[in-house]
Amino acid sequence: MAETSTLRAGLVRLAVLFAGLLLLVGAGIAHATEKLGTPWTLAAQYFGVMGIVWGLNGFFFRRLPLSRFTLPVFSAAAFGVLFLIGFFLKDVVGPFAIDSAGRFIGLVHLVDLIFYAFAVMAVAGAAGCAFSRNIIYSAWAMLFAFLGVAGLYVFLGADFPAVAQVLIYVGGILVLILFAIMLTKQIGEDPKLTNAHLGLPVGAALGVITVGTLTYMAVMAPWKLQPAPGYQPSSAGLGIAFLTEYLLPFEVASVVLLAALVGAVIIARKEIKETTETMP
Amino acid sequence: MTSIGLPHFLIVGGALFALGMITVVTRRNAVGILMGVELILNAANVNFIAFNHYVDAPGRLTGQVFSIFVIVLAAAEAAIGLAIVLAIYQTFRTIDVQETNLLRQ
Repeated sequence: MAETSTLRAGLVRLAVLFAGLLLLVGAGIAHATEKLGTPWTLAAQYFGVMGIVWGLNGFFFRRLPLSRFTLPVFSAAAFGVLFLIGFFLKDVVGPFAIDSAGRFIGLVHLVDLIFYAFAVMAVAGAAGCAFSRNIIYSAWAMLFAFLGVAGLYVFLGADFPAVAQVLIYVGGILVLILFAIMLTKQIGEDPKLTNAHLGLPVGAALGVITVGTLTYMAVMAPWKLQPAPGYQPSSAGLGIAFLTEYLLPFEVASVVLLAALVGAVIIARKEIKETTETMP
Repeated sequence: MTSIGLPHFLIVGGALFALGMITVVTRRNAVGILMGVELILNAANVNFIAFNHYVDAPGRLTGQVFSIFVIVLAAAEAAIGLAIVLAIYQTFRTIDVQETNLLRQ
C-alpha cells in the first residue's frame, strides 16, 4: 500500500515537472511569436519554474524542506537565476558568438584544420593517458598521442622522424608497455595500483602552471623565424648528417642500444636464473 | 597561405609536456610513470622538429637528428625501465612505487 502511494506521488511529481517544462517552453515560444505579452510570459514562466522545482524536489534534491511558503520564494530565486542566464545568453553571448563565428570562418583553411585535427588527437591522447584510471586505457590513449605527434612531424616536413615515430613508439615501445602491464598485475583488481598518488588537484595545478608558462613563452618570445620554411624530403640529408657530422654520437647511440638491450635481458631474466640454479 | 606558425607547435608541445608531468606525478603504477616519461620525450621531440622547421637555416637538419637520438634513447629507456619494473615485480609482487623502497629483498 505504501509502495503504491509513493509510486503515485512520484508520478504526480513527474507530471508536474513536465507540465512546468511545457509551460516554460510554451510561454517562451508564444512570446517569440508575439502572441503573449511580456508580463504574462514572465508570470507563466515563473509558475513553470515553480512546477519544475516542486517536481525535482522529490527526485534529486533529497527533499529540501520546502513548505507552502518557502516554495514560491525558492522558485523566485531559481527563476531569477534562470532569467539572468537567459538574458546573458541572448543579449551578450549570442551576438558575440555570431560575430566571432563570422570572422572565424573567413580565416579557416584546410591545412589549419588538418593541423588542429592532429594537435587535438595528440593532446586528447595524452590527456587520456594522464587522467584514465585504468592503466590499460592509458596505454591505448597513448597510441593516439603517438599517432597525432607523428602527424605533426609530417606537417613540419619531417618525414623520416614521423615514420620512425610510428615504427618505434607505436610498434615497439607501446607493445613493450602493454606487455609489462599484462605481465605485472591484473588490471582493476586492486584499485590502489591505478589510483592517483599525489592527488589530482596537485597534478592539475602543476599542469595549469606549466601550460601557462610555456604558452606565454611560446607566444611572447621573439623567435628568429625563417622567412619561408620549405618542404623537402629529409631522409637523404639525415643519412649524410649521421655519417659525417654526427658520426661519433651515432656510434655511441648504437653502443648504448646494445648495452641497454643486453642489460634489459639480464635484469628481466632474474627469476628464471634462480630457478635453474636451484635445480640439481 | 596557412596561418599555423611556430607558437602553435610550441603550445602543443607544452600541453604534451604538462600532461606527461601530470602522469608522472599522479601515478603509483611504475609502468604508468614510464608512460608519462615517454609523453615528455615526445613533447621535446615536437619542439625539436618545430624549431628545425621554422628557425633553422634551410637544408639544415639538426633538430631532426636530435629527435632521432631522443627516439633511440627513449627506446633504450623503455627497455631498461620495463625490465627493472619486471624485476621489481618478481621480487616484491607489486609495482606500487610507494611500497618498493628497498633495493634488496
